[in-house]
This record gives sequence, C-alpha cells and structure tokens, in this order.
Amino acid sequence: MAKWDYDGPILEIDQLSISFFTRLREIPAVMDFSCVVQPGEAMGLVGESGCGKSTVALGVMQDLGVNGRIVGGSIKFKGRDLNEMSQEELRDIRGSEIAMIYQEPMASLNPAMKIGKQLMEVPMIHEGVSEKEAYDRALEVVTDVKLPDPKRMLDSFPHQLSGGQQQRIVIAMALMSKPSLLILDEPTTALDVTVEAAVVELVKDLGKKYGTSMLFISHNLGLVLETCDRICVMYSGEAVETGSIADVFDNMRHPYTQALFRSIPLPGADKNARPLKAIPGNFPLPHERPPGCNFGPRCDYFEGGRCDAGDIKMSEVPGDDRHGSRCLKWTEIDWDAPMVVTDAKEKAKPGDVVLKMDNLKKYYEVAANAMFGGGGKKVVKANETLSFEARESETLAIVGESGCGKSTFAKVLMGLETATDGSITMLNQGIESIPIQERSTDTVKNVQMVFQNPFDTLNPSMTVGSQIMRALEIFGVGDTVDARRQRMLELLDLVKLPRAFADRMPRQLSGGQKQRVGIARAFAGDAKIVVADEPVSALDVSVQAAVTDLLMEIQREHKTTLLFISHDLSIVRYLSDRVMVMYLGHVVEMGSTDQVFAPPYHPYTEALLSAVPIADTSVEKEHIVLEGDIPSAMNPPSGCPFQTRCRWKSEVPGGLCEKEVPPVRHLAEGHQVKCHLADDILARMNPVIKVAAE
Amino acid sequence: MELLSWGAIITQILIQFIPVWIALFLTFTVSIMFKRKLGLYGKLFDSPIGMVGYALVMFWVFTAIFADLIMTHDPLAQISSMKNKVPGTPVSGADEGIFEHYLLGGDALARDVFSRMVKGSQIVVTIAPFATLFAFMVGITLGLPAGYFGGKFDTVLSFLANLILAFPVILLFYLLVTPEIVATGLPTYMAMVLFLFPIIFLVILFNSRFFTQPQKRNIMVAAIVGVGGWLYLSLISQSNTPVNFMGALDGFDVAGGILIVFVSVVFVNSPTVFRIVRGLALDIQTRDYVAAAQTRGEGPWYIMLWEILPNARGPLIVDFCLRIGYTTILLGTLGFFGLGLPPESPDWGTTINAGRRLLSAFPHPAIVPAVALVTLVLGLNLLADGLREESLRD
Repeated sequence: MAKWDYDGPILEIDQLSISFFTRLREIPAVMDFSCVVQPGEAMGLVGESGCGKSTVALGVMQDLGVNGRIVGGSIKFKGRDLNEMSQEELRDIRGSEIAMIYQEPMASLNPAMKIGKQLMEVPMIHEGVSEKEAYDRALEVVTDVKLPDPKRMLDSFPHQLSGGQQQRIVIAMALMSKPSLLILDEPTTALDVTVEAAVVELVKDLGKKYGTSMLFISHNLGLVLETCDRICVMYSGEAVETGSIADVFDNMRHPYTQALFRSIPLPGADKNARPLKAIPGNFPLPHERPPGCNFGPRCDYFEGGRCDAGDIKMSEVPGDDRHGSRCLKWTEIDWDAPMVVTDAKEKAKPGDVVLKMDNLKKYYEVAANAMFGGGGKKVVKANETLSFEARESETLAIVGESGCGKSTFAKVLMGLETATDGSITMLNQGIESIPIQERSTDTVKNVQMVFQNPFDTLNPSMTVGSQIMRALEIFGVGDTVDARRQRMLELLDLVKLPRAFADRMPRQLSGGQKQRVGIARAFAGDAKIVVADEPVSALDVSVQAAVTDLLMEIQREHKTTLLFISHDLSIVRYLSDRVMVMYLGHVVEMGSTDQVFAPPYHPYTEALLSAVPIADTSVEKEHIVLEGDIPSAMNPPSGCPFQTRCRWKSEVPGGLCEKEVPPVRHLAEGHQVKCHLADDILARMNPVIKVAAE
Repeated sequence: MELLSWGAIITQILIQFIPVWIALFLTFTVSIMFKRKLGLYGKLFDSPIGMVGYALVMFWVFTAIFADLIMTHDPLAQISSMKNKVPGTPVSGADEGIFEHYLLGGDALARDVFSRMVKGSQIVVTIAPFATLFAFMVGITLGLPAGYFGGKFDTVLSFLANLILAFPVILLFYLLVTPEIVATGLPTYMAMVLFLFPIIFLVILFNSRFFTQPQKRNIMVAAIVGVGGWLYLSLISQSNTPVNFMGALDGFDVAGGILIVFVSVVFVNSPTVFRIVRGLALDIQTRDYVAAAQTRGEGPWYIMLWEILPNARGPLIVDFCLRIGYTTILLGTLGFFGLGLPPESPDWGTTINAGRRLLSAFPHPAIVPAVALVTLVLGLNLLADGLREESLRD
C-alpha cells in the first residue's frame, strides 16, 4: 500500500502541540507549530537546543516515546493525517515514505551487520523485492552517494568506515526506498568541516535528483542558507518566524531572528570595532516560560503589559511569500536601524614573547601487536616541526580538523606528554621535557586550559565553589579556607556569575554557565597562557557570543596570551590576531588574521574557508569541495600531507608533491606557507569569500 | 492447650513482628515526606519496585535489630517433647512463663523454628553487608589504579583476578575451612592482607585530598592509622592461631568460623568488583574534568578517588545491593555445606541443611529459613533494580 499519489503539499503541520509528561508535570515541548512543505522543497528548522526542533521531527515520525504525546493539531502527510494512522500503517510509511537521518552516524548503523545487508533490508521489507534486485539497488544508491569502490563498501562493517563515509551510508539507506520526505536531524554536526561541506553538497544534489522534500534541522544558520529554500526559526517551543530564505535572512521581522544574526560572527564583525551582541539572559526552561511572548524577557523591544499579556499568534508579512512572524510589534520596529555599537574597545598591544616553540616534534610509538609487544613498531607523527611565538595579550588561533595534532600540541604544552624533540620556552624557561608532576606550581598555574565540552568540564559530584577552591588550593592561593572562599567569589564575579552559584551542583547550570565556571577555574592562578580548546563550539549560538566576549574581556584585563583552538573559521576571524592552520601534524600556513584570510592561500586553507557555512546572503563563496577523508596519522601520505586531496597538485611539476615535504616559505612579513606551488600560481589565487557590494 | 489454626499462627506471627511494622512505618513515612530532598534515596520512593525491594530489605534489617523482642523462645533451647512438631503446636512439658506455642513448629532437635529464623537474620544481615563492603574496598583500591594507569600493572592484576574467578568457588571454600589448612594459618594470613586494604584506602583518600593542608592531613591520617590499626591488629590477632601477638591489648576475638567465612567471601567477591571498577575508571578517565585535574597538577590518587570514584557511584551502588544478595546466597551455601559456621548456628544456610534430612516427613524446618533467604535476596535484587531505574531517569 505504501505509496499513493497526491498532488498537494507533502507535509502539512497545523497548530501542532506536543507535550512530554514527567512524574512532576506536563512539559509542553512544541506549541502551536504550523508549517507546509511542498514537493521538492527543502525546509530548514533552526533554533537553539531545547527549542523543540527535534521534537517536531519525532512528531512527524510519530515516535515520541512513552512520555511524549501529541496534545493538539494535525500532521498531514500527503493529505493523510498521521495522528490517526494505526501502528501498522505507520510502520509501512516510516523508512519507505518518510526517512530520517540522525546526528550520530555510528549510532544509526547496526555494528554487527554488513553495510550491504542493512541497505538491502529496506526495499526487501517495504517492497518485498528479491535479494538480487535489492543488491542492485543498494549498489546503485551507494554509487550515488559517491562512495569509492561501492562493492567493497557493501561488504564491510560500519566500524571499517570513517565518520563521513558512515553518514553517506546512512543517507544512502534513507534514499533506498525513494522516500517523498527526508528528515535530517543535524546530519553533519558530528563531522569535520571539510567533510561536512561534501555531505551537504551531496544532500543538495540528491534532493534535486530524486525530487525529495526535506526537513532540515540544524542550529547552524549558514548551513540552512546553503541547503534550504525555506526556513522556520524556532524559539522555546514555538515557531517565531517563517518564510523563504531570502526574506528571513535579509528582511527579518522578528526580534529573536535579528538578535540571532547579531550574535554570530559574520564577516565584518570585529572584536574591537564592532563586537558581537550577545542575547541577554538565558533560554527559559520549558516549565518556566514567561506569559505572552516567550522571547519577551530577552527582547530589546519588549513592552510591558502588551507583550506579556497573552498568547501571540503568527501574523503574515504582506508582500512576501508565506512570510510570517510571531511578534505583536513587528510593524512598529525600525528594522533598518543600525545596530547600536555598545563600546568600541582599544586594540590591545601585543607585548613580549611569553611562549616560544621551536621545531617541536611529538611522535608516538605504537606497537603493531599490543599483547606481546613483538612485531614491528609504528611511529605516529602527531606533531611535526612546530615553530611559533606567542606574545603577551595576543590571541593565536590554531585551526584544523580532527587528527591534525592540535590536541597533542596542547597536551605537550600542558605537560601531560613530553616532547620528542625541539623546545618549548615559556617565560624564559624550557619546559618541553618536564612532565606536569615535576613542574613547579608557578609553571603549572601559568598555563591553564579551557575545555570544549561544557557538560564534561566540571566534576558532576562537586559543587561549583569547591571545584574552584580546589584549584586555588593546588595553586597555593590564599592561606586560609576563608581567604580562598573570598577569592573564589571574586572569580565568580569575574566571569559574571551570581555568587549564589558557589553552592550549586554543575547539573543545575546551563552549558554556558558551566563554561564560565571552567574559565574561572582556568584563571584561578592568574594564568599567563590559556589554551582554549574549542571553548564555545558546543554552546548555543546566542550563548557563544557572550562566552567569547567574556574570554576577550578577561584577556584584555589580565594581558593573557590566548591559544584558541578551533575549526570554526568565522569565530577565528572575529577574535584572533594571528592564525596557524594545521593539517596532519604540520603547520601548513601561519600569519596574521588578514594574511591568512586573503590570498595567497595554502590550498588547504582555501578549502577550509570555502567549507565553512556563512549565514549571510550577500557573501559569495567560491565552491571547493575536498574529495575523500583526512588520511590517518598512522599512515600519512608520502610527501606533502595534503597532496591526496589538493586541487592544485597538478600545477606543481614533476610530482614533487608526492616526493617531498614542502619547505616553509615566507611570503610576507610573518606570513609563512608550507607548499610547493610557485609564486606566480599563488599570486593568481582568487579570494574565496567575497562580500557583495552593498 | 490445642493446636493453633493457620489463621491464628499468622495472626500471632504478625503480632510478634509489631516492632518491625512500627519501624517500617516510620521509615517510610519520613522518607516519603522528604523524598524530594533526599537525592537518589528519595527517588527510590517513586518506583514501586524499588519500594517493595526496600521494604523487604528493611523488614529483615529491623528483624535483626529487634530480634530479641520478636523471638518467642531461646533459639538454642531444646524442649524434648517438641521434636519435629508441626507449626502451631502448644508447648508442653516445659517451665511456666514461656511462650505457649512453637509458632512454626519444632526442628529435629526440638528447637523453635520461628525463633531460629529470627535469630538467623542477625547473622546474615551483619555478615553479608560487611563482607561486601570489604570486598568493595579491596576491589576499588586495586581496580582504580589498574584502570587509570593501565599497562603492566593492569595486565598482572587483571590476570590474577581472572585466575581467582576461574577457580571453583565451593572448592576454594572447602580448601579454606579444612582444619589442616586452618592450622597452617592460611586464612588468617589472607585476613591480614585483605583487611589491610580498607586502611590503605582511607589513608590515601584523605591524604590526596588534604595534602595541601599538612596540619589537617596529619590529624586525619593519624586518627585513621590509630583507630584502624588497632581494629586491624585486634581482628587478625586471634588466640589459638599462629597469629597471636597482641596479648592484653587484643580488643576482641572474632569467632574463628566467622572470620574464615568473611575472608572467603571477600576473597571471592573482590575480583568481580575489581573488574567493574576498572571498567568504570577506564571510561571516566577520558572526561574533561579529569583532564582539568591533570592540567592543574593533581596527583593520580586524588584524581582516582575524588574525581573518578564519586562519579562511578551509580553503577557501584546498584552492584553493591546485588552483591549483598549474592553474598547472602553464598553464606547460605556455605552454611548448607556445613562450612565455616558451627553446626548449632541458627543462620539460614545451616538450618536449611539441618532440615534437609527429614524434608519429606517434616518440611517446615527447612522451608521457613528458605523462604526467609528468598525474600531477603529478592528484596535486594528489587532494590537494586529500582535504584538502577531511578538513577537513569532525569
């Protein structure tokens, strides 16, 4: 029965409300949500975590678990109400008419079954086709998702593939039965940027080829801009603005959308002249939503007595194509008014060199046979000839994807590992071969780290205050418990958290607040150098700006050297003074931010720049998609580490790229590149990102 | 005086248990009143399974506490006319002033089955949790470094753990309680090693936390070494064994049988605990807060005991409950084989064994302790289930 013909919209959601029932109360997760997806259309669902976007997807799949229930509204799929279907009918539709792609590719595949078998199951169950036919179909789809050597792919187990390949298989599986609607729930969040770009490209092409409608869920506005035709912005369980991409991005009519765009680092933002504007306050918990407009308490245009009076309905923006806003005052707000620049700050002057790395090398020896230690030994070169200097109150960004050696570098600097060769000089003291246990308290407290995952950075069984106090105790700050407690409260002030938080447990804090505690802990001993390992990448967009600002502010006050590890070039461009691009343990390019972000580029930097999605319709990007995955550090390619994916390789004569590691070349004062490309070719490069004239 | 009907027997038993009912009622009322403030323990009262399990466990705990109030007769006294009498038989031919019936009949040696069951709960409820606690201390003290450091240390310890686990448990017990082996002092030497672990554990625990404040640290460590050391020396120094050196300072002697049972149970349980802790340590040490502790220069023991262990508590608490149940069964098995505890001991395993011989003719002396054992272990398992379920929920 599975497929039937219907001319109207693929998906019509009308005033959908979904609630979860816990033992304490009913928690409304989605309220009054309406949207329409036409055939072949891609709809983007954007919002911060907890805004209900995934719940909508699960509602469409009718898979809300035991606690969730649809409490109002209807979901019509090709004209039939999904709420009224029996389990039998739903099973028939799921996977054949509506397919879903989840965030974590490894979790979506059965690790005990070969890829081919998992793919063949789909048409065999839904359409009852023969094994032979199913195999042919699987082969065809795997070829479609551009995986190399499809036959071998079908014969391998999920763990034998890389993350990017796994996600392609998941996409292939979703497409096996040619569904009418594809739901993608943050499909690329777990992937590296360059891999993400390739997957997004693939999804777009396949959508066109198969004519599939898509519901694309993401927190990344740039990604939605690149993939979707229409967008729906959600906030705290409600759709606040919906419309075509062009309308919403260029003529936004809801204060939340506007605030969101002002808090992300678009080209043109600058940490000193035009800082980001964080959305004040916190995301309301589902059971503590304010009356009236949910965004009210954080909104610049809030008007007491009106915005908090009662429920607000979606209102149509006339003239635009199905553009609606859930705001009472959208006709009154002057949407073209320029953003109020709070206070431009003086650019901090870099001081003396505090950290100097010279030819740092870190190799790991991996025994081929771990059990008996015999067999050949393999050497993994995690860091190869790393040299740089960092000055006081300077921000040095270290950019690269997973496996590029940035974490190893951080470990060596912190003393968790010792260097194989080369030297690290910090404040005129060589520390490359001193493990952390043997470092003096001063050295230890001078280099501290801010970690990536806010949910992992604090010990869940200790109060916030006692964790900071423990750091003070170890660093020998304060003589008595009272003195340390006083200092701890001051540190909480420094990171702008209320002092009452000292007695809270980490689970009572939001992600951004936890990250602030992590920052306070890092600055407990007045650190001179702070390594920030993707400190905001796991946070919601509206919180990112606030945490970034906080870091910059503390840096300005304490003249700290900040080593900012990230893969997000937008934020790097926004806050760093100098940038170092790493690939497979090599520094492929280094220079001031302007130098790195303008041609000539190293080919990898060029690809990286092109891969980062930018949420600005006026930006034109050159389209560069890297083939394949990052090679394993266990088995690096010969010659230049990037030669396997480089699109400029043919421009170097004599296959030099495959034979020799390129030397470091100085292109300009402070700008160095590790590439064989001749000067005239480098000079020919075009800028990847062009901001169209306004 | 006539035979009591089953209704009358049950009523009388319920009346005998009145102190337990009152205690249970108070515990539950207070716990449910404050359940939102009691963390995981409070959450237990949201799960019906957990509540039933907790009630069963607490029933036996209170029975052990109030055993002297509940018992109707001396568990060792014999009234010759009561041999193998059915439940509800009136007592005849005894002194005036004692309870008038054998509520659950008499056993082959004419002792009151009901009173023996109640008294037996004391032995079970004290030995099982303590033995499990010791097993946990040993397992944790060895499992944490094995998981955290890895390498050769881990390989050797894991191999030893596997070796012990591969050895047939009952055979091991037989070996340990054989008089010839006891005479060589082997169980006592094992006790010397095993009981050292709790002291090591506590010393490291406080030293790693407070080494930055030497004064406080010194007082704490001195207290632990003093009190713990004395307890330890008293425990291992037994008169009539090769290890007897304390003389007048010896605080107490533990009955030889109990010590051996204790040692065997700890010895058999700790490898499993070791493996659980090692696995948890391997998992938790990859977290960022462990890295944060490392980067601020904390010592490895602080990280293991204060950063890793508290966050492994969920699975450990659940396993603790399950393991008490397992230990209870083990104790029953030991008693059943007549190992360790003296034959007149009222513990459930021994009484089941004693009742086994006349099972077809007089089933009640064996059934009563068997039911008691089943309910306690069932209660512990349900409690563990409830805890697991509730700790996984938000």
